[in-house]
Amino acid sequence: MFDKRLFRPGERVSPEQQQWPSIRGAINEAMREEMRRDPTVFQMGQDIAKAPPFGVTAGLLKEFGPQCVRDAPCSEVAMLGAAVGAALGGMRPIVEFQFGDFISVAMDQLTHQAAMLRSLTGGQVNVPIVVRLPCGGGQGAGAQHSQSLYSWFVHAPGIKVVLPSTAADAKGLMKAAIRDPNPVLFFEHKALYRTRWPVPPDYSDPDFLVRFGQAVVRKAGTDVTVVATLAMVHHALAAAEELAAEDISMEVVDPRTLVPLDAETIVHSVLKTGRIVVVDEAYLSCSIQSEIIALVTERAFGALKAAPRRLGNPGVPVPFAPPLEDAVLPNKQQIVRVVREVVRG
Amino acid sequence: MDANKKVGLLRQMLLIRRLEDEWGEAYFREEIGGLPPALSTGQEAVSVGACAALGPGDFIFTTHRGQAPQIAMGLDVKRIMAELYCRRTGYNKGKSYHITDFSRGVVGMGGIIGAQVPVAAGMALAQKLKGSDRASLCFFGDGTSNEGAVHEAANLAAIWTLPLILLCENNEYCISLPMRAAVKVANIADRAAGYGLPGVVVDGNDVLAVYEAVISAVARARSGEGATWIEAKTYRLGGHLVHDPQYYRSKEEVAARWEHCPIKRYRAQLVAEGLLTEEKFTLLEAEVAQEVAAAVEFARRSPFPAPEEAFEDLWG
Repeated sequence: MFDKRLFRPGERVSPEQQQWPSIRGAINEAMREEMRRDPTVFQMGQDIAKAPPFGVTAGLLKEFGPQCVRDAPCSEVAMLGAAVGAALGGMRPIVEFQFGDFISVAMDQLTHQAAMLRSLTGGQVNVPIVVRLPCGGGQGAGAQHSQSLYSWFVHAPGIKVVLPSTAADAKGLMKAAIRDPNPVLFFEHKALYRTRWPVPPDYSDPDFLVRFGQAVVRKAGTDVTVVATLAMVHHALAAAEELAAEDISMEVVDPRTLVPLDAETIVHSVLKTGRIVVVDEAYLSCSIQSEIIALVTERAFGALKAAPRRLGNPGVPVPFAPPLEDAVLPNKQQIVRVVREVVRG
Repeated sequence: MDANKKVGLLRQMLLIRRLEDEWGEAYFREEIGGLPPALSTGQEAVSVGACAALGPGDFIFTTHRGQAPQIAMGLDVKRIMAELYCRRTGYNKGKSYHITDFSRGVVGMGGIIGAQVPVAAGMALAQKLKGSDRASLCFFGDGTSNEGAVHEAANLAAIWTLPLILLCENNEYCISLPMRAAVKVANIADRAAGYGLPGVVVDGNDVLAVYEAVISAVARARSGEGATWIEAKTYRLGGHLVHDPQYYRSKEEVAARWEHCPIKRYRAQLVAEGLLTEEKFTLLEAEVAQEVAAAVEFARRSPFPAPEEAFEDLWG
C-alpha cells in the first residue's frame, strides 16, 4: 500500500491490481483528457517533457508537443510567475514542481500574486492555475524533499488546496482543478504514486469530476472520528482494521480538499462519535490538524467525550535516515495507540 | 509621428504631473490616508513614450509608481483618482493602490517589487501560444533590477523567445540607495547580454527617444524575434513617497536635475519645432487642471466601499 521504493524502477503489481490505475496514471489521464478538451491547458515544469521524474507527465510531449508541454529552466519564480501571467492571458497552465518543497522558492508569486490578484483588482481577473506538488515522506528523500506544507497555503487567502488519496479522487479532483477559475495547489503523495486502486464505474466519463469541499467517509464507525489525508488515510484504515478486533469502531474521514474544507462532514461525524483524532504528516504547530480541531471545538464542544488529539510531525526537519524518518512521521501504530487512549481514557 | 500626436504626448505628461501633484496635496491635506503617494515627477517621459508605442491587445505591467503609465494608456483620470481616494468607483473598487484596467491592458502589480516581471513574461507566453502578434511590457526600477524574479524572467523570455519588453526605469534611487551603490555595471542594460537579449540604453527624459526605442522593441516582439531589455535613464525629482524628507541627497543635486525636467525639455523642443505656442501651452495646462479638478470632485463625491465588499472578489 505504501511505496517506499519510488526511486527504484519496477513496480510490484498483483494480477488483480493490473486492471486498476495508479495515482500517477490517474493524474496523467486527467491532464491528458483536459488538454484534449481545452486547448488553453498547457504544462510547464522541470524535466516534464522528456524525463518526468515521477512519470506523471509521461507521454504528454508526444501527444501535445513542446509548445504545450514545456520543459522549464530551474527558475521556480519565473515558472510560477509565467503561469500567473499566462492565466491572465486566457490560458490554463499546469505547473509541476519537481518536489513540492520547492514551492518555497516561489512563495511570493503564489501567495501574493496568483492568490491576491483577483481580489486586488476588484474581481477584474481570474488566475486559473494548477500547481502540482509531490509531497510527503517515506522515501528517505531528506528534509527538503519530503515535507507536507499545505498548512502554509490554507493560511493564505485565495488558494484552493487539494489532497487526493485514491486514484479515482486524483483523477476527478485534477479535472476539477483544471476547470476551476482559481489557483489550485494539487498535493501528490510520493508514497502513493505507484499504488493502485479500484475505481468507480463512471471513472472513464469525460466529465468525471470530484467536487471541491466534499469530504468522504472512508470507513463508517461510532467510537471515534479520525480525520486523515493522503497516505495517512491508508494508515488510518489499517489502524481501524486492527482496532476493530478490540471492538473499537473508528470512523475515517478524508477531507480531500483543505480549501474549501467540508467542515460539515467532520463536525457531523464528531457529533456522532464524540471523539476526534486528526492525523497528518504536516508539522503540528499551526497545522491543518490544529485547524480542524479548532473548528470541531468551536462547533461540537458539547459532544466531545475526550480531549481532541493531533498526530503529525512534532516539528523537526524530516530526517534522511529511515529509522529517524519513521520516528518523526505518524504511522499506523501511533494511530492505534492514540485512538485507544482517546476511546478508553 | 504627426504633430497632433507629438503635442498629445506633452498633454499626457502634463496630465500625469497635475494629477500626481493633486494626489500628493490630498495626502498632505489629510484628505486621504494610508500609504503615502508614490509620484513619478521627472519620470513622465518614460511611461508616455513607452505606452505611445503600444496598441490594442498589448499589455503593460506597472510598478508601485503606476499613475504615469495608467494615464499614458488612456485610463480615465476620474476612476484613477477615485481609487487613490479609496472609493468604490475606482478601477479596483477601492481595493488596491496599484490600479488595474484589464480591458485596456493595464495590470497594476506594485506591492512586491519585481513580481510583475515574470507575470508579464507569462502574458507574453500566452500571446505567443495564442498565435497573436501582441506584446507585453513590464516596467521596473533600477532597485528592482537586483531582484531574482527579474533575472529569472529575463532568462525565460530569452530562451522562449517571448514578445516581452523589459523596461528598466532607472531613476537613480532605490528609496535612499543610489543606483551606483547597488549596481556595479555601467548600465543596467549591460546585463541583457548575459541573457542573450539586446540591451538598449535610452535617455528616459526624452519622450521621443523612449518612444523610438520601444517602437523598435515592439516591432521585434511582433515579428517573433523575442524580448528586448531597455534601460531608460531618468531621475526621480521627488521623494520615494511624497512624505520622504530625502536626507540622503542634497537639495543642490535635485535642483540641478530639475534643469533636465522632461516636460520642460519637451515643451521647448515642440516650441522650437513650431508645433507649440505659448498660448497653446497655457491652454493645455488649463485643460488638464480642469480635468484633474473634475477627477478630484468625482472622487470626493464617490462613496467608500461598503464593509461587506471586503469579503467579495476573492474567488472566481
